[in-house]
Amino acid sequence: MKQVLRLFNNSYRIFFNDRVAVMLTFIVPMVLMYLFGAIFGSADSGPDRMPIAVLNQSNSPVAQQVVATLDTMKAFRVIKTYKDKQGRQVAFDSVTIKRFAQTGGAAAAVVLPPDAFTDTSLGLKMKFYYDPKNEIEFQVVQGLIKQVAYNQIPAIINQSMQRQSEKYLGTKSGQAFNRGIASLVSKYFHVDTSLIMNPSKAMANWMNTSTSSVQDSSKKGGTNFFENMVKIESQQVVGEQLKNPWATRSVGGWAMTFLLFTITASSASLFDEKKSGVMLRLLVSPVSRVHILWSKYFFNMSLGIIQLFFMFFVGWVMFDVDVFSNVVNLLLIILAASVACTSFGMLLAAFAQTRQQAQGLGTLLILSMSAVGGAWFPTSFMPPTIQSISKLTFVYWSMDGFLEVLWRGSGIAAIAPHLLILFGMGSVISAVSVWGFKRGKVFE
Amino acid sequence: MISIRHISKQFPSVTALDDVSLEIGEKEFFGLLGPNGAGKTTLMNLLVGYLSPEKGSITIGDQEVTRENLDIRNTIGFVPQSLALYDELSARANLEMFGKLFNLPHKLLSERINERLNAVGLYERRNDNVKTFSGGMKRRLNIIASLLHDPGVLLCDEPTVGVDPQSRNAIFDFLESLNAQGKTIIYTTHYMEEAERLCSRIAIIDHGKIIASGTSDELIDMLPYEETIIVAKNDSTMEHKAVLREFGTVIENDDHLLLKPGTGFALSKFFTRVEQEGMKYRWFELHRPTLEELFLHLTGRRLRD
Ligand SMILES: Nc1ncnc2c1ncn2[C@@H]1O[C@H](COP(=O)(O)OP(=O)(O)OP(=O)(O)O)[C@@H](O)[C@H]1O
Ligand SMILES: [Mg+2]
Repeated sequence: MKQVLRLFNNSYRIFFNDRVAVMLTFIVPMVLMYLFGAIFGSADSGPDRMPIAVLNQSNSPVAQQVVATLDTMKAFRVIKTYKDKQGRQVAFDSVTIKRFAQTGGAAAAVVLPPDAFTDTSLGLKMKFYYDPKNEIEFQVVQGLIKQVAYNQIPAIINQSMQRQSEKYLGTKSGQAFNRGIASLVSKYFHVDTSLIMNPSKAMANWMNTSTSSVQDSSKKGGTNFFENMVKIESQQVVGEQLKNPWATRSVGGWAMTFLLFTITASSASLFDEKKSGVMLRLLVSPVSRVHILWSKYFFNMSLGIIQLFFMFFVGWVMFDVDVFSNVVNLLLIILAASVACTSFGMLLAAFAQTRQQAQGLGTLLILSMSAVGGAWFPTSFMPPTIQSISKLTFVYWSMDGFLEVLWRGSGIAAIAPHLLILFGMGSVISAVSVWGFKRGKVFE
Repeated sequence: MISIRHISKQFPSVTALDDVSLEIGEKEFFGLLGPNGAGKTTLMNLLVGYLSPEKGSITIGDQEVTRENLDIRNTIGFVPQSLALYDELSARANLEMFGKLFNLPHKLLSERINERLNAVGLYERRNDNVKTFSGGMKRRLNIIASLLHDPGVLLCDEPTVGVDPQSRNAIFDFLESLNAQGKTIIYTTHYMEEAERLCSRIAIIDHGKIIASGTSDELIDMLPYEETIIVAKNDSTMEHKAVLREFGTVIENDDHLLLKPGTGFALSKFFTRVEQEGMKYRWFELHRPTLEELFLHLTGRRLRD
């Protein structure tokens, strides 16, 4: 172990002595990120004038209030009519608004049905139509509309609470009261969301999941109710954070791609060490091949953690990506992603014959894994077959983990599968690498 | 001290070592002389446990050398044939990084580094990047990087390749001083002059086999003649070629004749005859045979082409 630590320290000494390596690891990705940000930055200000189609079929004052608020919001350009074949402006109905969204006239369509909010309803009912290609925009729209609707909470809660308390008043059963409140909260947003383009694709968007998670935890009892209220608050924070959805989504992807390049280079440097004879010198010291591998492993992993966190930090500085509100879970995913990337680098070094081979093959794999794994654009944009392939890459699980943590603000329970899969993939790939090193070129 | 017993090492396409056995005593300066591809480096790699042999065993002191025996590495210093240094780091940083793998107290290591740098005249350059060093300087650094743990045994695999004569002499002096301090040294080379100058005992290796071993004198004694006689080329000596042939084989070179004495040769008889024929003594020069000649005699090939 001491030898591993000494070799590990040596690796850092070499790394920091190598200005080019340091530049490539930290400065270059930062500059590229800034450039990407500047190029695609318009996506961030997108909500300023995002076209949404709105149809209100309800007479409820609550629904009208929602529409009125949408009208005044700077984020949206609310469209209530469309041009027919004769060029006349015609108000939407439930069919035409759907088609309007379908043909890309708006980022999303919102329908407040006749029963959006009735005397008997416990919550506000809305329908969303969106093209999955506009998923990001849709998320923004949803977040903002939720915000608008939340502003109506006092009005709704007053009405519903009255009804609920009438029902349970006198039973004195706190449990029943809580259950009632819980169902109120869970039904509060009865959002009927459906997909137009691809209805078969399950709507695993965060709005539905967050609604159901409120339901689950609220069953547990009284104190949870207040947590749920707090949760609603924090969802509003998420909504606010969506002012930069593009950066939030992208920063993890950039970071993963850059990290893979860093780690591939670092692993391939085993070939340089072999060529320069340094490897021989190490191996005729009281150092074994296993020591060298472990030190390389720990070095790459720690460098990965540092680089990933650095990238998120840069995302926070440049693009206001909310890195710190869920930082512990973010660090867990970063750790797991680094483990997986490190094992990938080791795999390359184990099976390549030369440095050039390791780097060439590495580049090819990094680019395809990043693309398929959703590091550059969401996997939901991809055809279903590719989507299922993407789940085989650790890039996907890292990316999804980052999104889970940064976008949805999820806790440890939600990222546990990601952690398990990433550590699992890391272990399997590492085991294969060790097998490869035994017959590979590096240590022969 | 070091015993190599019936070692064979096979590479996919070639038998690098074939049943090699050697005994090397403590404090010996042992030379391994052989042409390119003879198996010198392979034997060194086996001696330090970097490679494992198919057959045979090696012990140093009372320990067996294996790939797994890391402990024994503390008693061996290995100077690789190729430079094994971090080019981008300073001389001092290189020594620190390699030295600390030998579990030395920090202070001791630091002292040793300075001492060794001084010993090979690199102290002034200690903070310069290795890539700015001359070939000879790198070679010297390559040697001391293997000596920081003060090993009892030093294996030098052609440590003077590509070094100017001045640096070469400095390296020789340094190695001789180490030997005088009691270190056992094994030194490989394909320069017979190096082996003769440095080594108390020499093994000649060719195609993975030891073809001769002993002290320099013992090896020379294996030749069927003791001395060769270099004869100046002039009208008189050319005229008397037949006379010279009576004493052995005469080889005509561009600028001289070479007489390899035949059986029953005696110097006294030779010079009496030379005098009788009116040739001058100064045209004759006694030449001690070299290991090169022995190699030629044993293999029919030269050490180097
Ligand atoms: N790793 C290897 N794989 C395959 N063959 C090898 C390997 N190392 C050495 N050989 C072969 O083994 C033989 C002995 O090589 P070795 O390097 O021991 O020779 P050497 O005496 O050190 O030569 P030189 O004076 O050129 O350094 C050569 O034929 C060489 O091609
Ligand atoms: Mg060699």
